Amino acid sequence: MTMLKLQINGKEYGPIDVPEDMMLVDVLHEYLGLTGTRFGCGQGECGACTVIVDDARGPREVRSCITGAHYFSGKPLRTVEGHARRDAAGAVSALSPVQQAFLDHFSFQCGYCTPGFVNAATVLLERLAKAPMRKEELEATILEALNPHLCRCTGYVRYYQAVKQLVLSTPGLVKP
Amino acid sequence: MTRVGWRRVLQWLLVILLAWWLLGFVARWWSGRGPVQQAQASAQQRALGRYLLDAADCAACHTAEGGAPFAGGVPLRSPFGTIYGTNITPDPDHGIGRYTDDDFFHALTRGEARDGHQLYPAMPYVSYKSMTRADSDALYAYLMNQVAVKKANPSNDVRFPANIRAGMHGWNLLFADAAVTPVSRGNSPAWQRGRYLVETLGHCGECHSPRGALGQVDRDRPLAGNSELGRFAAPDITPQGLAARGWDGASLREYLATGSSAIAVASDEMLKVVNLSTSRLNAGDLDAMTIYLLGDAPPAPVTPASVEASADAGSHRHYFDLCAGCHGRDGGGVPNVAVSLRANTSVRDPSPHNLIVAVLDGLPEHDFPGLARMQDMPGFAADLDDTQVAALVTWLRQEFGGQSALVEAASVRELRR
Repeated sequence: MTMLKLQINGKEYGPIDVPEDMMLVDVLHEYLGLTGTRFGCGQGECGACTVIVDDARGPREVRSCITGAHYFSGKPLRTVEGHARRDAAGAVSALSPVQQAFLDHFSFQCGYCTPGFVNAATVLLERLAKAPMRKEELEATILEALNPHLCRCTGYVRYYQAVKQLVLSTPGLVKP
Repeated sequence: MTRVGWRRVLQWLLVILLAWWLLGFVARWWSGRGPVQQAQASAQQRALGRYLLDAADCAACHTAEGGAPFAGGVPLRSPFGTIYGTNITPDPDHGIGRYTDDDFFHALTRGEARDGHQLYPAMPYVSYKSMTRADSDALYAYLMNQVAVKKANPSNDVRFPANIRAGMHGWNLLFADAAVTPVSRGNSPAWQRGRYLVETLGHCGECHSPRGALGQVDRDRPLAGNSELGRFAAPDITPQGLAARGWDGASLREYLATGSSAIAVASDEMLKVVNLSTSRLNAGDLDAMTIYLLGDAPPAPVTPASVEASADAGSHRHYFDLCAGCHGRDGGGVPNVAVSLRANTSVRDPSPHNLIVAVLDGLPEHDFPGLARMQDMPGFAADLDDTQVAALVTWLRQEFGGQSALVEAASVRELRR
């Protein structure tokens, strides 16, 4: 057993005693009660377990089902619970633009893949805010960001449309 | 020598050069106009030709990805430049449509095209030189009865002086006739057949044997491994090299037939070889190949030695952080997902080359013969620096591979893209 401290959605957790070979998704579910992150394939292929790491190379996506919890020591991270604005009582007062766009476009059905898609689109938007792209790269860039995520209800088109409209309607993401 | 003497020599040289060039030009023009051949062949001979085409792995270089079968265009990168596999469909202008069976045998075994130009040894005529005439005729019969594809050959991108094809005459004089030393001891009919499959048809030595400065195969160290051709090294496949990494006849045969065994998964170029060639061999030939590679009296496979761990504790953590999610806490792997690292042939390899490349680059999804698949592996070049990769690889080799030597960060730096 090894002690672990984590910083998730701006909040400090731990130190808690976590086995050295335990994957992050299990720590989120079993130790911290953060159950929004989904366990899908367990092999890093489907993207449902994606969390956001805000280290020197971030923001970037990491698959929490195949990455050991101790890897995240000293690396601030965000999960799907961290995107919406909350009031003083902790209730959701406003969804993030990505979350709202997915609702508006009816992007998902069962919703199992949604936390992964929300995090992928959030990372994409934040990276574009730092380095805007040319208009003609728009479709390829969105595809590249969403492609690694699997959706078995095949909401792909609506996820894609939601992200495309959000990118176009958010100032500063596309070079004039 | 007097000035007049020099001038005379120069004049003669010029005349000879001009005559050479003219002769070559006329020869090419004449042969380019030769009659289009029709090859009559029995169904049986064509079927044999198809089988031999797989055994000789012709498609690897002559069928481009997504291209028409045997219409050429596969780039082969060499230290001398990029050479493209040519069109070997029966098209009279771009393919072998005007080749007679004699021309075809001559090109296969001597490396000279019908119009007299020298082939580069990227075409393994040095291996094929021992091909039987009957097998060459069967290959010819099959190829000449395929659909002709009008597809021009891309021009090679070979640097001076290797781009002077006539220079291959000299190269051939030096290297093409060298006798092949058998890699193992044996005399049984299966061993003889295996020798023909491995050394001649399969041309395994073209990648697995070390090469000299002029690109010639080092005949003194047959199949002893070559790390200079591609991103991954072609490992030592001598009987001693194989046994030292735990191979026996059964695992080798399973690997050649399916692309994986308990101790290895074929990747990169070798996966193509398995898909296009070895998986299509019949049971007798698979046995023969295995028997030749290990010898009539195969050496006993070595179990990994137990090694005292000396890598620092951090490397152990990298394994749990980044590897154990798929390869398991105990390194046992998951079928069709992640290979077992315990006693894995690449982990046990005295050279850490392939293990380092796999950690840095990851591996693409594997499609094996039939329906077997294996998912991709992410690369960790961005997550781990040279020292961390070296420590992780050292730990893997000590824990699962019985290799005690420390891997240096410099070895990782050399392989980092």
